[in-house]
Amino acid sequence: MRPLLELARERLRGRRVIAVMSGKGGVGKSVVAAMLALNKPGAALVDLDLSGMAVPKLFGVVGRLHEVSKDGIEPLVAGGLKLFSLGGVVGDRYVLLPGYGQAGAVEALLAFAKLDGAEAVVVDMPPGMGEELLALGRAADFTPVVVTTPSKAAVGVVRHLIDYLAEMRKKPAAIVLNMAYVECGGAKVYPFGRGDGATELAQRHGIPLHEVPIDPELENYVGRIYEYKGPVAQALRQLADKL
Amino acid sequence: MHEWSLALSLVQTLDKWALERQVQIRRVVLSVPSPSQLDIAVLKEAFDTLKRESRLEKAALEVKVVTPRYRCRACGYEFGQEEVDPQIKKLMGDYGEEYPLHLIPELLPTFVRCPRCGSHDIEAELSIKVEEVETI
Repeated sequence: MRPLLELARERLRGRRVIAVMSGKGGVGKSVVAAMLALNKPGAALVDLDLSGMAVPKLFGVVGRLHEVSKDGIEPLVAGGLKLFSLGGVVGDRYVLLPGYGQAGAVEALLAFAKLDGAEAVVVDMPPGMGEELLALGRAADFTPVVVTTPSKAAVGVVRHLIDYLAEMRKKPAAIVLNMAYVECGGAKVYPFGRGDGATELAQRHGIPLHEVPIDPELENYVGRIYEYKGPVAQALRQLADKL
Repeated sequence: MHEWSLALSLVQTLDKWALERQVQIRRVVLSVPSPSQLDIAVLKEAFDTLKRESRLEKAALEVKVVTPRYRCRACGYEFGQEEVDPQIKKLMGDYGEEYPLHLIPELLPTFVRCPRCGSHDIEAELSIKVEEVETI
């Protein structure tokens, strides 16, 4: 018996677990996860991108460590949001783990995260399909939100993830077509094409497609993303309301 | 302090397990890897405090501290704790009370390198497990 896996299951039971994922890296999962958590009342954000750990960077808490109390690890709080990340255990350094280590880290983070009061848990998943995805599946029944860009390369990889999720009977609540367009003089300009592959994928699986714009200003909010109220936040607030 | 959260996870998990089976628990054997540097006395004290008014009320906790054997998956070198200890000692010095393997021993390959080839690709049994449960 593995007490941490059992405790992780117990911690997540009764909470809505929204896992933001993509087969592809660099499509904006962490920003999407952060915005969904910020715009969903009563949500906490758990960073399971064990090597990437973009969440501490986005929220300006790099190097801050979780305090450990008698009943678990205390969240880092930024912008009023409760955050949990391996970055809060190892600090500002790289993490490189074989599969069994990834499984142990995921189970321990979920088991010890003090999620008190959190009705929903938004999980920022790593790119690809690996141990973290399997480990989350062992611990909780989650609702996927799949992120892609209009690029054929991204959609091609995401297709495999959606096929897998369909096999697992986990229908995504949305496909986020990130970096879809730029607002220019009141019109939408689609610099990378209309994302036909993503549209076809969404239609084929009956999943709502949610376009999110490009906003170069967003970069200026890395480290204080909770202050960003621009068009990306607005688009993702609409999605958060629907979840 | 982490010993308390670990004891809590143990009591909660086993209490639920015992309730489902309508049994009381008499003895629990827990194995913990030595690099976690858990304080066994504190762990047992926490267990004895937290087990009250549960199906573990009469349970004794036995903790087996397991010293892992390590194998480098890159070069195949097999080695013991004595070759890892200098790296663990340095890590404890760097982090002090926030020593990360205390909370998650499976993080060891991030911090420890093979003494022969320097790879982080290290295999070992590092999980915390319930090995035995005796019921009444």
